[in-house]
Amino acid sequence: MSTHASPPGRSAVAAPDECLPLAAPVGATARWMRRFVAVLLIACGVVSFAYAGLSVYIATRLAYETPKPIIGTPAAEGLDYHDITFPSRADHLRISGWFIPGHLPSGRLTANRTIIMVHGSRQNRTDPAAGLLALSAEFARHGFAVLAFDMRGMGVSPPAPFSLGYFEQRDVLGAVDFLRSGPLPYPELGRPRAIGGWGISMGAATLLLAAAREPAIQAVVSDSAYAAISPILEREVPKSASLPPLFTPGALLAARALYGMDYYAVRPVDVVASIAPRPIFFLHGDGDDYMPPPNMGLLVDAARSAPNAQVQSWLCPGVKHHAQCFHVEGTAYVTRLVTFFTAALGPDAGGA
Amino acid sequence: MQTAPFKATRALRGDVRRGLLVGLTPLVRLVIIAGVALLLTALARALTASLGFFTQQEVSVLVLGAGLLLAAVMFGAGCVGALRQVGGWQRAGDASPAAVALWSLGATALLVLLPVLLAWLLPQHPAP
Repeated sequence: MSTHASPPGRSAVAAPDECLPLAAPVGATARWMRRFVAVLLIACGVVSFAYAGLSVYIATRLAYETPKPIIGTPAAEGLDYHDITFPSRADHLRISGWFIPGHLPSGRLTANRTIIMVHGSRQNRTDPAAGLLALSAEFARHGFAVLAFDMRGMGVSPPAPFSLGYFEQRDVLGAVDFLRSGPLPYPELGRPRAIGGWGISMGAATLLLAAAREPAIQAVVSDSAYAAISPILEREVPKSASLPPLFTPGALLAARALYGMDYYAVRPVDVVASIAPRPIFFLHGDGDDYMPPPNMGLLVDAARSAPNAQVQSWLCPGVKHHAQCFHVEGTAYVTRLVTFFTAALGPDAGGA
Repeated sequence: MQTAPFKATRALRGDVRRGLLVGLTPLVRLVIIAGVALLLTALARALTASLGFFTQQEVSVLVLGAGLLLAAVMFGAGCVGALRQVGGWQRAGDASPAAVALWSLGATALLVLLPVLLAWLLPQHPAP
């Protein structure tokens, strides 16, 4: 069967058509071409839509996990405390936490210097793995008040997408607002004269992002922070989803579409220089098996690039796992941090 | 008075236009529907922000999922229609628009696959 004949009325252009580079084959070849394109369309369409669907699924898995329960209270450490709630900055989620006044050697309580403590990913203000409650107690015993809270989606704070700092920095900023103008639970102690921040892992990265935007955070301790989250996600998403790495960009884009969060923008390394001249103390385990120690190097270099930068760093020796400096170093860890905060925030200027 | 080569060129342009119109329709539909789905997802997210995370997530996934499904269906239907039209042209001996449409559909297939190819080929820098 031949279909080579021109249609009626088109004989005048038949000759030029034969010279076209796009000239279509006829007969069996034409059918074959049509089928080939059909198969190509089906194959590409199925692959792409399956990719999109799986990316959406991975994004929903990435965005939320049942929170871990709060284990213990400061009372177990023999400390006074009050539960608090405060609104996150900008989106006004009710963030839960507690406020622990500092204990001066005289036995008096103080809120003169307050440290905001920011826990790590999928954890809460008690984080037993990092010893957060024990460290809060150490700060309080050294005369620093502590505001520890559960970031959104974790602990008893309201469910929210897990954005690795993109949204959570608003919770840290909400904590600052609370200390400056919120209803503090110990009104007799007055408002803090100086505010510092301590964060671990994701909390450290979140704190760096918040401190870059909020000058009221006068000193920052960053324990085991990441310089940027995308390399960690590019390693972890394929592992947790049991899928090849090519699904990571799709999942991160789907998370952006579904939740409005941009994981690629979570890059403390890009903003850390703007914290200067406020002092920063970076520390990291030298054998951290989850967050590679070069992350600290990148952050230190970036922070030191600012004029008037005040940057200290400490690569904790003998730390084989993630965010374990406090557990391994114990008293030395506390001593270094207390010395840093005392120098950065000044001495207590008279608690009630 | 128009010369024969001029008429031929004009006819050729018409064929290319017809072929492109048919061949690119599925891609245009896909882009428009996917874009609208993304916009509606953002709108749904904003509108349900006060209702809590779970409601917000459910609505967002539903809107985006439905949008992607609709895009897939419309894209498939568009491709079937375009291929039928190409078949009709080929049977009628209207070779030029059929060729242009087939090339456009082939390019459409590759463009649809492009995000996956980019995700596969572009370098990632996973942490050690």
